[in-house]
Amino acid sequence: MKTGTRNGLLLLGCLLAALVALGPIVWAFSTSLKPTNRIFQVPPELIPSVSTLDHYARLISEGVHRAFLNSGLYAFLAVAVALVLGTVAGYSLARYPIPGKQLVLVLFVGAMAVPGFAVLLPTQLLFVNMGLYNTYVALPLLYAGHILPFAVWVTRSHFNTIPRELEQAAQIDGYSRFEAVWKVVLPGAKPALLAAATFGFLHSWNDYVTATTMVDTPGLRTLPVALIFFQGFHGRDWGALMAGVIIATIPPVVMFLLFRKYLIGGFADGSVKG
Amino acid sequence: MNAVPRNASTAQSVRFINVGKSYGNVRAVSGINITIAPGQFVTLLGPSGCGKSTTLNMIAGLEMPTEGQILIGDRDVTTVKPADRDIAMVFQSYALYPHLTLYENIAFPMRARRRRSPEPEVDNKVRTAARMLGLDGMLSRYPREISGGQRQRVALGRAMVRTPTVYLLDEPLSNLDQQLRVQMRSELKDLHQRLGATMLYVTHDQSEAMTLSDLIVVMSAGRIEQVGTPRDLYDRPANLFVARFLGEPGMNILNGESKSGSLVGKGFSLPLPATVGVPAEQLSIGIRPENIEHDPSENAPIKGIVRTVEFLGSRSLVRIDVGDALVSAFLPATVQLSAGGAVGLRPSDPAKVRFFDTQTGLSV
Repeated sequence: MKTGTRNGLLLLGCLLAALVALGPIVWAFSTSLKPTNRIFQVPPELIPSVSTLDHYARLISEGVHRAFLNSGLYAFLAVAVALVLGTVAGYSLARYPIPGKQLVLVLFVGAMAVPGFAVLLPTQLLFVNMGLYNTYVALPLLYAGHILPFAVWVTRSHFNTIPRELEQAAQIDGYSRFEAVWKVVLPGAKPALLAAATFGFLHSWNDYVTATTMVDTPGLRTLPVALIFFQGFHGRDWGALMAGVIIATIPPVVMFLLFRKYLIGGFADGSVKG
Repeated sequence: MNAVPRNASTAQSVRFINVGKSYGNVRAVSGINITIAPGQFVTLLGPSGCGKSTTLNMIAGLEMPTEGQILIGDRDVTTVKPADRDIAMVFQSYALYPHLTLYENIAFPMRARRRRSPEPEVDNKVRTAARMLGLDGMLSRYPREISGGQRQRVALGRAMVRTPTVYLLDEPLSNLDQQLRVQMRSELKDLHQRLGATMLYVTHDQSEAMTLSDLIVVMSAGRIEQVGTPRDLYDRPANLFVARFLGEPGMNILNGESKSGSLVGKGFSLPLPATVGVPAEQLSIGIRPENIEHDPSENAPIKGIVRTVEFLGSRSLVRIDVGDALVSAFLPATVQLSAGGAVGLRPSDPAKVRFFDTQTGLSV
């Protein structure tokens, strides 16, 4: 096949893939700007001839902004806790001759394989008994638990690729071990840390099932849970739903655009290093 | 060169007192006793796995001895953390910090909390070191953007900006190509003379050890085989290991028995000088390849069959089967020899022939 033809087919394939990926988002954005009576008009309009921000205003009036902030706060706290613990554990597993560390690693990987649904109800019961159910602590704690094995796995793999001599050199240069790790090892592990942070943020941000099981009070709800209330029993408020979808999409997209360089490297490292 | 930092005033002695290191039941090094005077350039030389890097790491504090004491100056540093030993180290891999520019790499030791220097002083020292090492003009680059030789210089620069008591160099030239290695070797020698610093160098390359060192410590299987000046070790090896290890090729060793004032073996019979006592019947004779000459007479004391002839220009390296041994000799290129032919040889200077007890391997 000629190079020109092959490139043309590749371009066509990429355009189709982009259409499949972006189409729903573009349509959701278009819908979020249409007045309610024009959402189902025939023929449909991609670019609304009449546009409104009423649906976005309705989200605010219904307190969805609070849920947006909750989602962000939970995700941020979960990522922070998981990264701190994951980095310490990953470093220890990579550098120290801990007895039974292979078993610990297997347990971490095993934890990733357990479906969240399988432990959801026992966890809810546990949280009720511990007084954590329906509190600000519940979701960050659970999300941190979900992210932690991945954080340990990715950071450990990355620490293994950083030569020990760098830390040793820093120690000889007058730095304590902690300072050596802080100044030399962690900057080198930036791709792994950002990969783990992005994965953790997306996991927490997108979660619906855990959030709806663990909190009940409107003030504690996350964005996916708050949006589901626009899907009523008798009909759906498509305009508000689509506006919510667009708002919910912004943080992950921004995050990906900022860190995509590191993400690809970070995930590749995690996938091929043992 | 007024701006060149001189370390002579801070250079310290290093003493190993019966130092040993074990990993579980495996003894990596044992019975290490060395005294290094301030300002000396000392090389730990030996084959891979002989314990030389472990010994260096113990001075650095990267490994703790399981027995013995290490003193830098009068200070016992056996259990002191690396950061508190006031030493500088150049690693085989250079260990440059990849996320820092060359300037930041060189300045790194001076910005450590426990020995932070004022920024104007940091700047002055970094630029002075960079000038000395030919790195000025590239200080804003990152390690990945420079060549192997330049990286090696940055690693040296990082060691130089401080005034450490001891410099440790762990095979710093081994990753360079041959030409650059020779160049850096003479630069290192020059640097040592200018700094007047105590330097401890680890290598398995004997030409580096011979050209750079005031003192060489030859190690094998975790033990010290001999300590001495390069000339001492080359001319008077203390045992068969050192005799074979030093020299390219190493000393020729022929095993024989002492019989009525001569040492006789397969293919040779050499008179034993009166100065050599005969502590054992089984003796080995050691002759350097350059101390052998061609003897065309019938009564040549060494007779063998030529295996290979390597023409080197003014001379040839000839390998000769003498009994069970393979003897190497540098002979003038004018001596016409061919593989498979018989050849007679003799020591060119009997005073340079060494004798060893075959059983113990020790010089007699």
